[in-house]
Amino acid sequence: MPSTDDDIAIRAAELRKSYQSEVAVERLSLAIPTGTVYGFLGPNGAGKTTTMRLLTGLTQPTSGSVRVRGVDVANRRALASHVGYLPETPPLYEEFSAREQLEYVADLRDVPLDTARDRIDEYLDRFGLTGDADKRIEAYSKGMRQKTAFIQSVLHDPDVLFLDEPTSGLDPRAARTIRGSITDFADRGTTVFLSTHILPVVDAIADEVGVLFDGRLVAEGTPTQVQDRAETGEGGSLEDAFLAVTSQHRTDAPDAEG
Amino acid sequence: MSLHRDVRHGLRIGRAEFVRSLRGYLGNTRRLVGLAIAVLFFGGSLLLSLPTAYLLGRTARSVTTIPFFEAGASAFPVVLVLVAMLRTLERIGSVEAEDLVLMTVHPRAVVLGLITAEIGRLALWFGLPIGALAVAFALGVGAPQLVLTGGLVALPLVCCAAVWGYASGLGALRLLRYLPVVRRVLKLGGILAMVGAVVASQFVGAYIIEADRWMRWLGSTATVDPLVGYVALAFAGTPLAQPVSIGSIAVLGVALALTPIGLAVATRQASTLWFTDAPTRTTSTQTPNSTGGFTAPQPLAWSNAGRIAWGVLVRARRHPQELSHLLTIVFFIGPIGTTVVQSSGDTIGVLVAGTGVGLGTVLAGATFGLNPLGDDRPQFPLLLLTTTSPRALVRGRLLAGAAVGLPVAVLAPVASVSLGTAVPRALAFAGVGVGTCLAAAMFALGIGAAYPVYEEREFWGTETVVPSTLVMIGYMFVVGGGTGLGLVVTWFAVTGNLVFTPVFLGGFGTYLLLTVGVSYGAYRYAIRRYRRYVFD
Repeated sequence: MPSTDDDIAIRAAELRKSYQSEVAVERLSLAIPTGTVYGFLGPNGAGKTTTMRLLTGLTQPTSGSVRVRGVDVANRRALASHVGYLPETPPLYEEFSAREQLEYVADLRDVPLDTARDRIDEYLDRFGLTGDADKRIEAYSKGMRQKTAFIQSVLHDPDVLFLDEPTSGLDPRAARTIRGSITDFADRGTTVFLSTHILPVVDAIADEVGVLFDGRLVAEGTPTQVQDRAETGEGGSLEDAFLAVTSQHRTDAPDAEG
Repeated sequence: MSLHRDVRHGLRIGRAEFVRSLRGYLGNTRRLVGLAIAVLFFGGSLLLSLPTAYLLGRTARSVTTIPFFEAGASAFPVVLVLVAMLRTLERIGSVEAEDLVLMTVHPRAVVLGLITAEIGRLALWFGLPIGALAVAFALGVGAPQLVLTGGLVALPLVCCAAVWGYASGLGALRLLRYLPVVRRVLKLGGILAMVGAVVASQFVGAYIIEADRWMRWLGSTATVDPLVGYVALAFAGTPLAQPVSIGSIAVLGVALALTPIGLAVATRQASTLWFTDAPTRTTSTQTPNSTGGFTAPQPLAWSNAGRIAWGVLVRARRHPQELSHLLTIVFFIGPIGTTVVQSSGDTIGVLVAGTGVGLGTVLAGATFGLNPLGDDRPQFPLLLLTTTSPRALVRGRLLAGAAVGLPVAVLAPVASVSLGTAVPRALAFAGVGVGTCLAAAMFALGIGAAYPVYEEREFWGTETVVPSTLVMIGYMFVVGGGTGLGLVVTWFAVTGNLVFTPVFLGGFGTYLLLTVGVSYGAYRYAIRRYRRYVFD
């Protein structure tokens, strides 16, 4: 059954981003249903971060359009309440404590103070940060920073969550907590756009997968469909499929060696 | 509704940014000590200026008799716009953690927040001294309310200038995005302009004191009467009050009308700058390549320390921004340069020789020696686990500094021969330069290792690790004083005016002992710090 606009959380049409002669993203179209965890894969330099910035409106496309929950991403005032974004480098202020940082972001998000404090306490507890909540972020480890940044991206309960390498550099416990949170958000109807190199994470939680190579979407579908398409054989993993798909396109590329 | 919301968000961002800056200023003991020294230094000057401001108020019979009032009032908005533009180019052209902030609030709120925070920062640094002078002047006039009315009169001009200066700064940043070559030229031009400004500042005082005629010309040609009339509104209700002119009211109206327009323009500029990309971006094909491997030239190739020195020099050549702290030297060299320019034919050769020795000596230590641990820390996990000894690492930095300073210290005296300096004198200066360069390079490593700075900070538009300001100032005073003393003795020696009295011999012996002993001690200390370095 074809999707209606209400069902589609992220819709990108013929997105293209170029820098003079260099094309970063080429004719990218997406239609990600609400409540989906979408695993966005690709080798280094494939254009994943550029795509995320296009989908969040932080970069303007050369051509094409993006709508998130029906809102044109160029309409920043309307978009802000719908999306949460965790970039690869956590956007935190080292001079603040985690609690100050989160209360500041909640204030800018217009979350009422009482609600914000309840949510912050709950998240800090869930991520094991309560004891360090009043320490300045400059003293935090990478994992603590990542967890704080994750909390600030979901504090306003967004409809769509963009996560760029959310579990990178985390210890197994912290990574599992974030994975669990992503699943919980998806269960509550939040759409999660997850870019990562950690394929087992995608394998475990993604409903759909897209593989980007040289700025083009070269494979899309459920993890099983992508594995089938890559013909990795019985017992093949998503990692095998990823390597097969990207190798095939590396060979197909006109300037490929050999 | 959205304006109210943006203003609220803007004020919240402004408060947060201001608090972050405040915590940065007061973040550690080193900064507090630096701040205390700055307060002591400038606080003294301020205290001495207060009676002058009071007397100025007491003796003023009308607004026009206040020195420079008309020119100052006319230049006030222009200066404000230029300051706002400069700070935008330098610091507030973007917001930190922009992915977060731009996804959270409207760009107009970010613009308001950044401007508010910057006004707060400038008020923190300059508000207290300006306020103290204003109070002293107002008390002199006998009208304390002048401080309040002055603030009220300044407010519309400050707001208008802030938004238009910000919009102009962002516009310049957008333009520079398309002209990367111009950007680099402007950066270099900015440095040259600063050097010029320091040198020019040596002449300005004389002009202000002597050239009354020049000031009268400035007053007559650069005065904008409506602006002067508007600023004079600050004196309403005081004995210096002037009749209100239509022009002054018009200035107020224009400032009030232009402020929201300026905010809209600034927001538009910000949206375009922050949400679009430069037409080109650095790619692997644009990255400079280096072929041929790492081969140090002779004689640096002879030793491990020499090869390390070559590595230090190559990195500095490829990333000269890391040497931006050397601009501080300009402030010390500027006055000497002026003296050289103004000197007569008989002395110019000696001055060039002496200046060359002084500059070379300062460069020998300051270029690579004032923050050795901070500069090397990112590579310490590699360096400290190799078989290369800490002594070689320190000597490498010493040699690299000497490679920069020695040519200046030796070639300047040699070149001064063409300006009339006798060859033996030039050679004597060059010989002294060799000694002072080595001493300075060793001394710098010691004080730099004693007070390392690891955090990157914005310095002349570049995010880099720079030595502590205290270390730089301390180094300049010790090395500048020591080298100056050595040069004076050299001059007396080469002109045959040196009298070997017991007092002189004792004093000079102490000087030599201190120079050699302190420098060598500093060098040994630096090696020990390298040897015992641990990541805490």
